[in-house]
Amino acid sequence: MNSTFLGESSHNFPARSTLFAWFVVLSLSVLSPTAQAQSVCLPMPRLLTTMPMGGSSGTQVDVTITGENIEGANAMLFNHPGLTALPKLDANSQPVPNTFTVAISKECPTGVYESRVVSKLGISSSRVFSVDTLPEVQQTPNTSLAKSMELGVNSICNAVMTAKSVDHYSFQAKKNQRIVVFCSARGIDSKLDPVVIIADESGRDLVAERRGDILDFTAKSDGQHIIKVHELTFKGGPAFFYRLYLQDIGIDSAAPQFASTKTVSSFSWPPKGFVANTFIAESEPNNLGSQSQKISLPCDIAGAFFPAADVDTFEFTATKGDVWWVEVASERLGRPTDPSILVQHVSVENGIEKLTDVAEFSDIASPMKPSSNGYAYDGPPYDGGSTDILSKLEIKHDGIHRLQLRDLFGGTRVDTRNVYRMVFRRAAPDFALAAWGLHMELRNGDRNALSKPLALRCGSTVALEVVAVRRDGFNGDIQLELQGLPDGVSAQGLKIPAGKSRGIMLITANQDAPPCISKLSFHGKSSIEGEDVTRPVHMAQMAWPIVDAWGEIPSPRLMDDIMLSVSNSEYAPISIAVQEKTVIEGIVGEKLKIPLVHTKRLDFSGSVLQLKALGDGFEQIPRFDVSLDAATSEATVDLAALKTLPGEYNLAFYGSAVVKYKPKPDAAPRDVAEIVITEPISIRVKPSEKK
Amino acid sequence: MGVRMELNPPITPPPTRLAILKAASMVRTFPQISGVSFQLARQQTQAESSSHDTQAGSLCHLRVVLSLLLVLFGCCRVLGEHPERRVSLVNDVVPVLTKAGCNAGTCHAKAGNGQNGFQLSLLGFEPKEDFDHLLKEGRGRRISLASPEASLMLQKASGEMPHGGGVRLPSDSEGYALLRDWIRQGAFYDGDSAPKLVSIEIQPKRATIQPNGQLQISAFANYSDDSQRDVTRLALYESNEKSMAEVSEFGLVKILDIPGKVAVMVRYQGSVAVFNASVPQGAPVESVPPSKNFVDDLLFANLKELGIPPSPLCDDSTFIRRAALDIAGRLPTVEESQRLLTSQDSNKRAYYIDSLLQNPEYADYFANKWTAMLKNRRDDASDITSNFAFYSWVRDGLLANKPYDQMVRELLAATGTVMGNPPVAWYKRVKEPKQQLEDVAQLFLGVRMQCAQCHHHPFEKWSQDDYYSLAAFFSQVGRKPTSTRGEDMIFHKRGVAGLANIKTGTVLKPAALGDTINSIAADEDPRLKLADWMASPTNPFFAKAVVNRYWKHFFRRGLIDPEDDIRDTNPPTNPELLAALEKHFIESGFDLKELVRVIANSNAYQLSSVPNDFNAADQQNYSRFYFRRLPAEVLLDAIDDLAGSQTDFPNLPPGTRAIALPDNSYNNGSPFLKVFGRPENESVCECERVQSSSLAQSLHLMNAGDIKAKLATANGRSDRLSQTDKPLEERIQELYHVAFSREPSANEMSFSMEYLVTNKAEPVSKERFQDLIWALINTKEFLFNH
Repeated sequence: MNSTFLGESSHNFPARSTLFAWFVVLSLSVLSPTAQAQSVCLPMPRLLTTMPMGGSSGTQVDVTITGENIEGANAMLFNHPGLTALPKLDANSQPVPNTFTVAISKECPTGVYESRVVSKLGISSSRVFSVDTLPEVQQTPNTSLAKSMELGVNSICNAVMTAKSVDHYSFQAKKNQRIVVFCSARGIDSKLDPVVIIADESGRDLVAERRGDILDFTAKSDGQHIIKVHELTFKGGPAFFYRLYLQDIGIDSAAPQFASTKTVSSFSWPPKGFVANTFIAESEPNNLGSQSQKISLPCDIAGAFFPAADVDTFEFTATKGDVWWVEVASERLGRPTDPSILVQHVSVENGIEKLTDVAEFSDIASPMKPSSNGYAYDGPPYDGGSTDILSKLEIKHDGIHRLQLRDLFGGTRVDTRNVYRMVFRRAAPDFALAAWGLHMELRNGDRNALSKPLALRCGSTVALEVVAVRRDGFNGDIQLELQGLPDGVSAQGLKIPAGKSRGIMLITANQDAPPCISKLSFHGKSSIEGEDVTRPVHMAQMAWPIVDAWGEIPSPRLMDDIMLSVSNSEYAPISIAVQEKTVIEGIVGEKLKIPLVHTKRLDFSGSVLQLKALGDGFEQIPRFDVSLDAATSEATVDLAALKTLPGEYNLAFYGSAVVKYKPKPDAAPRDVAEIVITEPISIRVKPSEKK
Repeated sequence: MGVRMELNPPITPPPTRLAILKAASMVRTFPQISGVSFQLARQQTQAESSSHDTQAGSLCHLRVVLSLLLVLFGCCRVLGEHPERRVSLVNDVVPVLTKAGCNAGTCHAKAGNGQNGFQLSLLGFEPKEDFDHLLKEGRGRRISLASPEASLMLQKASGEMPHGGGVRLPSDSEGYALLRDWIRQGAFYDGDSAPKLVSIEIQPKRATIQPNGQLQISAFANYSDDSQRDVTRLALYESNEKSMAEVSEFGLVKILDIPGKVAVMVRYQGSVAVFNASVPQGAPVESVPPSKNFVDDLLFANLKELGIPPSPLCDDSTFIRRAALDIAGRLPTVEESQRLLTSQDSNKRAYYIDSLLQNPEYADYFANKWTAMLKNRRDDASDITSNFAFYSWVRDGLLANKPYDQMVRELLAATGTVMGNPPVAWYKRVKEPKQQLEDVAQLFLGVRMQCAQCHHHPFEKWSQDDYYSLAAFFSQVGRKPTSTRGEDMIFHKRGVAGLANIKTGTVLKPAALGDTINSIAADEDPRLKLADWMASPTNPFFAKAVVNRYWKHFFRRGLIDPEDDIRDTNPPTNPELLAALEKHFIESGFDLKELVRVIANSNAYQLSSVPNDFNAADQQNYSRFYFRRLPAEVLLDAIDDLAGSQTDFPNLPPGTRAIALPDNSYNNGSPFLKVFGRPENESVCECERVQSSSLAQSLHLMNAGDIKAKLATANGRSDRLSQTDKPLEERIQELYHVAFSREPSANEMSFSMEYLVTNKAEPVSKERFQDLIWALINTKEFLFNH
């Protein structure tokens, strides 16, 4: 599945020159994180910071941007029509570099949005842009108590943390005034793990919040108070930006919720047809069996893991042979919980209640085994699973059943916000889909490549790995489909086969594709109980390129949209495609020869590219070498060995190579590791005529 | 209790055994032999028949024959004499071996293979194993039934053959005779039939003994058959304070000249008892400082009882420096000193204590103390996030004065991820149930359970079952991987908690120390039950352990010392005071700040460290303040305060104080912290912090580059004082106020003036100020909290 450069088994050893080139690359990587960041994958446009990171609805704000490979960016795009941007012009009507004037319409709701810029390499990766209703300010130097920046209550400050520093803000509060301070950071793509402290006017700490949560504070006296903000481990720099909210609220008001990005696991919630406002409320006390809350199935229950070590017990009657599906959402609602269910059958023997275990449920398994965060990837660095529950309950005996729902992480925590939804339903087969850029299995390597925009070079083919969480026993094929492709761009899905959880989407920009930007619509399709069903594919991406995932926790999230661009400012180093772009035909049991044509545009380090197959039923094709110096090559598919049945199939081959990349024509080439993927290959396997 | 017996009295078989013997074939075969001898032969036969070792079986068969011959010979010899008492392996032989030190951990009970291939169970806790080692190993040379004196065991122990352990049992000793008789009688195993040791008693249990006096104590063993035996000569004795009392091999207690309370631990075959001696100074105690709270009541009452007059109260300068160093881990500021010194308010000391408790540095300082014991250690660069999160959790809890029982509960029963719930980080460091139990017991209960993992605790009542029952509370800790290297999500893994005793294989359910816990359902997290038990007002360990630990923090010595070794055989020096502190702490709702407040506000804490004519020798009754060197971090901060410098720590904001360092990693870059003993957070014991003084420390303070750099810091105090227009006297006063919170004496002032002013026409150079600061740093008054 994944290509490997070092650590391959000896029988499949890459060419010595390739190894040497990799050794050079990796040695440089060890010596210099910067060098490593530059050496893995071709340059991609990445928007990394904006200042400010948001604005107030109904205002205009000048936004300064920084990023990688976005020099000369001339457009800034958002995923909401209420957000528009134009390059900022100076007094001479010339664009101010890296600055845009963003207009936020009054109608633009409070929330977080995707913002991107367009440069010569195409559309950049996204950075969150927040919209709120409170007035906003930007930080002035405030790294000491003496330099505290005064902040008005009910305002937002956009700021950047300096390494080894503590930012100080002052505000006035009245005795018994309830103040909420919130430092929005991880939820807006920042690397900051914020610590927020409220101190008295002389800087003596009063209360602290270190988990990225709100700090709910009631002033004990009139006067000036200090807010201190720092990174948990005192890291800092441009990536450590934050928005500090200072709000007063009523004594009895619920604490406000602040918008943030969604975790990858949340792609599987809610199920189709879920109605948020229709539910049965959990009724305390229900910790003990004798206090069980009586329910009838099906049902939809809303409750909370509160107080500490809370157990919510429900009782229902069921009939032997009944099959129910139970789904619990809490972690996918953004709460740090781990729901667990125990179902027991209740009987009475000699006047004594007897409980017999029927089922235990916990966790939604990741569709693919995620990387164990070792030195090299051994799976995708995204976990599509959840600590929530999605399980099948089979009733084995008639009668009363008792269900205990608890939070395995809730033994000592007291937090009313740890809510859940528990849905009992008859089987409603369905699926949910997520996708991310295909990664390389490179030792401690391509983490910086995780933050990948779909900015295609002409002649390139990129691959997205698509995973499915199957709901309620759905087991069918899932076809993948991209819509909204611009001219010159084609896409081919390699389906998620029946019973499996992984597929691939291949996107190819022709060599002569015109430059463009397009919003895509990505779906999976299947037939469920005779009906065609279409479900969205949610794109996931790392918020940041990460050089060292051991030292820095990767921060994946879901995107709200999928944007694609094609650029002809640079071309793919090599394109490999079928010689005649037609369906290759073969006979069952025979060996199928696939002629490939190479269009090489850059030099490579080494002369051999090792390829392996993508596509269900073909991934067992042995790896094979093709010459990077040759204009053509041939792939062989042993249909007998693969036991391929008659039918039509799609597949592709991919591998990794070290490109001699020149950022400018007159620059010295440098080694860059890159995934090389062939254009999709369609084959038709016909029955044998020997019958 | 039964009739007291002489040493080694004859044993009469109980009627039930006689009934069995009457039915035995040997009774029919040798009807003329006494019942005692028949019993021995029968037991031997039973013992051998149960053996699965064929080699040992043949040896035993031979031994049966020999035994019978010996028995016949013996019977013939004793016909017409008193019947010979049967020597018991369990109740005679093993105690002799223990008394002789043969089965000490450093000798033949050494882990592994004993000494020179000869293994005995530690302190004779496993007599059956000892029997096997003696009889079935060493090619049968250790015991010679035919010629007992030729037994290797006796020859080595008596020195007739070379023995690495020297002469342990001279051939004319009682112990030698006993072992020889046991062999001569057939070297039988009687572990199943011998009366079981139930307890030991000592007489007297307590006494008042004058300095340099002595007293013989006696030890008696009580057995399951209600018999009692004088074991004074076989018991082991150990003083808990050797500078106060020595104990002879046979229980003669010799008191030295230090007044106070001393205990002698008496051990005999797994049972322990304690003798408490009160050693009065006997001096007239005409007055004591007025009592401010129950601490004073009980502490001064004890001094009166012992006749130790306390030192007077310390002056305000000493108090403010002492309180600031002990509560906030820093020197008082000049402003604080001057405010207190000039205040006429009678409650000014109490106000100052309260202000220190409100200061975040209180939380920093005590978080530093707790996180060291909770092993917040950086082994890998990626540990930084969890270490900072964990440190901050402790620090914030102390700042908010979260009840101690709640903090411990959140730690013990932590679930989730480190970032979501920082006490989970403890489970990153302490991974196995056994390690978890040992750390929890030692840190939060003051009980050292490590010994009981492999054998019965030699100084305590705790058995292996107690050990594994306690560890069983942690048996259902589940782990799930996270995306963060080396970190797991922690949760309660459903299932009935239990852990196997590695020796017996028996799976034990959770049980608290000396207490029972209701059955814990599979769904319940046993750790919450443990936390419930610990926080119970009737828990005999939990509150006691922490008040004793905090007492030590303020008084240098715990009421029980070491502070994490609470056991009957290590009694408190003032049990009434310890009990009152415990009660107060529980009634306060486990309020740590209140605990500090009640201790620091007592006049007992505010006594002068200067001894009077009578209390210089006192080391445990707190009749004066026991001065101590400043801990490494506090001293480093104090030097920075005085020199006007700051120490930069990697990746921390400039100005971060050493007492606020989150983990041990900063020791690597700081020779100062290493030399002055900052712990590496590897142990749950506070003793990991080195508080002793050393030549290296003296040399460091005098010569080390980092000290010189601090003195010469640009814009530091020497720079500033050399450039100011203030009168020189004021500048000298400033130095003394920062360093000692007091005015310089006339002598100090004149000496300082003389040194600083080399040429009246020129301003004082910064180098001269550096020298003066250097001199102040190197005074004991600066280096010690006094």
